[in-house]
Amino acid sequence: MGRYVIRRLLQALLTLFITLFLLHYLTALSVQIRGNPALLFFGGERTPDPAMLAQVERLYGLDNACYDRPGDPCLVPFVERLQKYASGDFGTTLQDNRDVGELLTIYIPNTLRLFIFSTITLVVLAMLLGTWAARHRGKLVDHSVRGTTILIDSVPVFLILLAYVYMMAVPLTNWARGIWGTESFMGQLFRPNYNPDYPWTTIIVPGIIVGTVGLATLTRLVRASQLENIGSDFVRTARAKGLKKARITVVHVVRNSMIPIVTGVGYTFAYALSGAVLTEGIMGIPGMGRMIFQAVQRQETNLVIVGLTVTAVVVILVTLLVDLLYAALDPRIRYD
Amino acid sequence: MTELTAPKAEPDAPQASLWKDAFRTMARRPDVIFATLIMLFVFAMAAFPGLFTDKDPARCIGRDARLRPDTWFTGEHPLGTDGFGCDFAATIVHGTRPTITLALTVIIMSVLIGMTLGILAGYFGRWVDALISRALDVFIVIPLIMGAILLLSLFRGRGSSGNLIETVGPAALALTLFGWMEFCRYARAATIETKNLDYVIAARCLGAKDRRIMFKHVLPNAVVPITAIVPTSLGSVIVAESALAVLGIGVQPPATSWGVLLSNGTQWAGGGYIYLFGIPLVLLILTVFAFATFGDALRDALDPKLR
Amino acid sequence: MAETLRVVGDTLPGADMNAPLLEVEDLRVEFRVRRKRIAAVRGASFTLEQGKTLAVVGESGSGKSVTSQAVMGILDTPPGYITGGEIRLHGVDLLKQNEETKRTVRGNHIAIVFQDALSALNPLWSVGFQIGELFRVHRGTSRADARKRAIELLDQVGIPDAKNRVGHYPHQFSGGMRQRVMIAMALALDPEVLIADEPTTALDVTVQAQIMRLLKQIQDERNMGLILITHDLGVVADVADEVAVMYAGEVVEQASIHDAFKRPAHPYTKALLRAIPRVDTVGRELEVIPGLPPNPAALPGGCPFHPRCWAADPEKCSTQEPPNEEVADDHRALCHFAKEVYRDER
Repeated sequence: MGRYVIRRLLQALLTLFITLFLLHYLTALSVQIRGNPALLFFGGERTPDPAMLAQVERLYGLDNACYDRPGDPCLVPFVERLQKYASGDFGTTLQDNRDVGELLTIYIPNTLRLFIFSTITLVVLAMLLGTWAARHRGKLVDHSVRGTTILIDSVPVFLILLAYVYMMAVPLTNWARGIWGTESFMGQLFRPNYNPDYPWTTIIVPGIIVGTVGLATLTRLVRASQLENIGSDFVRTARAKGLKKARITVVHVVRNSMIPIVTGVGYTFAYALSGAVLTEGIMGIPGMGRMIFQAVQRQETNLVIVGLTVTAVVVILVTLLVDLLYAALDPRIRYD
Repeated sequence: MTELTAPKAEPDAPQASLWKDAFRTMARRPDVIFATLIMLFVFAMAAFPGLFTDKDPARCIGRDARLRPDTWFTGEHPLGTDGFGCDFAATIVHGTRPTITLALTVIIMSVLIGMTLGILAGYFGRWVDALISRALDVFIVIPLIMGAILLLSLFRGRGSSGNLIETVGPAALALTLFGWMEFCRYARAATIETKNLDYVIAARCLGAKDRRIMFKHVLPNAVVPITAIVPTSLGSVIVAESALAVLGIGVQPPATSWGVLLSNGTQWAGGGYIYLFGIPLVLLILTVFAFATFGDALRDALDPKLR
Repeated sequence: MAETLRVVGDTLPGADMNAPLLEVEDLRVEFRVRRKRIAAVRGASFTLEQGKTLAVVGESGSGKSVTSQAVMGILDTPPGYITGGEIRLHGVDLLKQNEETKRTVRGNHIAIVFQDALSALNPLWSVGFQIGELFRVHRGTSRADARKRAIELLDQVGIPDAKNRVGHYPHQFSGGMRQRVMIAMALALDPEVLIADEPTTALDVTVQAQIMRLLKQIQDERNMGLILITHDLGVVADVADEVAVMYAGEVVEQASIHDAFKRPAHPYTKALLRAIPRVDTVGRELEVIPGLPPNPAALPGGCPFHPRCWAADPEKCSTQEPPNEEVADDHRALCHFAKEVYRDER
C-alpha cells in the first residue's frame, strides 16, 4: 500500500509541475504576442516614459528580455515565480495594486463552499436516483429517472441559474421574508445574489444548481454498477448464506458499487470547476471562478496564473484523494 | 434431427451482429425514434438552410424590429424579428450550420486525436503510455471552459472575414484541445483489454505486424465504447458552446450560433419578448436532449453486460 | 447431533425427524424470457438421507444447477419461477414457508458451495469477515467471537496459519485454498445438508482429489447429507452413495452408486459410462454419445433422449413420455425399456 501511495504522490507532483509550466508557457506566449500588460498601467493610450515602464515591468516580473521573443519558454521567470509562491508571495494586481494573497483568502473559501454543496447534491441525488432506478430496472421508474436526468443535463447550467435569478429568486425571497423575516435563514436562502454576511446560506441554492451538472452521467454510473453487482456471484452467495436483504444491499451491493462512483465523482469534479466560472458570475459570488474570468478580461496576467495554479492544485489533490480512496476501498489495488 | 449436426463456425459473426443487434434494439424504442427524427431535422437544417427559409438573415430592416411571432409559421416573418429587424426564423436556421459544424468538428477531431493516442498508449505501453498518460492528466486538470477561456482570450483580437473556418475555428480548437481526453481514456482501456485477448496474442504469434493488429483487432473494439458516447458528447459540445457564447468567446460574428442567439436573447427575455430567448432555448434543449437520449440508448444497446 | 434436532425444530415447526432428510418431489422450474417460457426442470425427484452422499450427474443444461438453486431458494426470480413440486426438509415443504423462514433455513440448515470461489466471494471483504457474517447474522455472535469461530473453521478445512490468514482477501488465496474457504463458510452453522455445485470443476486434478477428500471427511464427521453436483463421473465413483442422473430437466435414473455403475437401467447412463476413457481399451476409438444436448426451448417429443438413443423405438419413444420404472429396490429409470436395459437385453 505504501508503494502505491508514494507512486501516486509522485505522479501527482509531476502532473502539477507540467501543468504549471504549461500555464506559464501559455501566458508568456500571450504576453509575447499581444503585448505587455504593463502598458495597461499607464492607461494604454499614452506612450509612457521608458524608465517608468521599466520600473513597472520590474515590479510585476515582466522585465525579463524573454518576453520580447515569442516562443521563448521564459524559464527564469518561471522558477522565480515558483519560489515566490512557495514563500506565500502572490504578488499584486495591476489594477488597484491589491495584494493577491489577501484576495485569495476571500475567494478560495467561497468557491470551496460552492463545491461542497454541489458535490454533496450531486452524490446524494445520483446515489438515490441510481439505486432507485437499479431496483426497479426496466419499469417506469427506471425510464423516468433516466429521462429526467438527461433532460436536466440538456439545459445549460447558466440558463437554469438565469431562470432562477430572474424568475424565482425574488418572489421566493419575498415570500420567505414575509413569514420568517429578512434576517433569518429562510429569508436569505433564496436571494438572487450572494450576501457576504451570510456566506453559507446564500451559497446553498447556487451550490445545489451547480450540483446538477453531470447528474445524468453519475446516476447512470451508479445504476449500472449496482445492476452489475446485484447480478454478481457473490451476491448470490450472500443470499445463500441467508442474509437479510437490507444487509446484502448495504454490505455487499453498495459497498462494491462505490469504486466506480468514487472515480466518477473525481472526474466530474474538474468539470464542475468550469461551471463555477459562470455560476459565480451570475450569482455575484466573489470566488476563484469569477476572479479568473475577470482577470482574463482585464489582462491581469499574474492573477490568471495564480488562479489557474490554485485550480490545478485543487484538482490534482482531489484526483489524488480519489485514487487513494480507490485503494482504500478495493484491497486488490493495494498490493499492486 | 438438427441436434445431431455440429454447429457451423461463423466468421465475423460476433462483430456484425453487435451493431445489427444494437440497432434493432434501438429501433424498437419510441423515444429513440423521436430523438432520431429531431436529429435528422436539425442536420437537415444545418446542411440545407434554404429548405427551411427563404429569407436572408442579413437583410435587416430596422423599423421591423422586435415583431412578435403572432402569425406562427405563416406570413412575412414566421417567427417574428429580432432586435435589429432581421427575420428571426432565418437567423435561427442560418445559425444552425455553425453550431452543428462546430459540434461535428470538435467531436471528429477529438475522437481522432483521442482514439489514436489512446490506442498507441494502450498498445505500446511503457514510455509511450507514460508520456500520453501524463499528458492526459495535465489536460484533464485544466477544466474545459477555463481552458477555452484562457486560450481564446489570450489570443483574442483577430478580426474575422466571415468564412466558416475563422468564425468557428477558434472555438472548435479550444473545445477540441480540452475535450479529447475522455475518448483517449476509453480507447486506452479498450486497447489494454483487447491486447490481452487470446486471438490477439495468437495473431502476434503468427507474425502479424503491429499496425495490422491495431487496425484489424484493436480498433474495432476501441470504437465501440467511443461510439457509445459520441452522440451525448455532441450534445455537450453544443451546451459548452453556448456557455462560451455567453462569455463572448463562442462562434464569432458575422456567423451566429444557437449559443450566441441565446446569450443575445437573455436581454430580451424579461421585457416581454420572450420568444427571442425561448425559441432558441427550446431548440437547443430539444436537440441536446435528442442527442443524449440517442446516445444513452446506443450505450445500452452496445453494452454486453446489460443485454 | 442432539443440537441439530433442536435447531431444526425451532426453525421449522412440524419437522419430522423420522422423515428423510431432504426430499425433492416433482420439482418444476421454468424461465420466462421475453414472453417465452422455457422449462429448465421438468419434474425432478430425488431423496437424500442423513449421512449419505447423493451425486447429481448431468451435462451442461441438464438442469442440475437450477435444481440446486431452487432447493436453496436462491433462484433468480425473475426470470426463473418454481412452478410445481415440493422440497421437503425433514418432512416440511420449504416452498410453502414464508420468506423469513426460508431465509433462516439458508445457511443454517442447508448450505451451498459454488463452483468458482473467486467470483463467489466478495473481493472487498476479508474471508474472516465473510465467514463471521454468518455467525453475527444468524446467531447474534459478537465480532470477536465470530472471528474466533472463523479461525477454527479455516483450521478445520486445512488452511495453514489460519490465525493470520483470516484477515486476508479472496484474491490472496490459491484456487484450492479459496475453495476450502467456501467450504468453511458453508459449514459455519453446522448445516444438515450441504450442496456442492461442481466444487472441483475449476481446480486441477491433484487439488480436486484433496477437496473431495475434505468433503468426504467433513460429511463423515458431522453426519451431514451431501449433494454433489457434477458432470464428472470419475469424481462421483469415489465419494457418492447414491446417484441421480439428470437429462433435459428430469432425473432419468436414480440408484445406489454400485447399481448404477454395474447395472445401469437407462440408455443415457449406460452411454455415459461407456464414454469414460479407460486405460485398458487400447487401440479402440473413444465412445461418444452422438448429437448434442437438446435445446430446452425446443425439446423433442416424447422422451427427450430418443434422438440420441440406440435403444429407442422410433414410434413409441418419440410420442409417449416414458414412465418411471422401478427395475430393482431403490433403482428407478425413466425409460420405456428400463427393464430391458437393466438386464442388458437392449
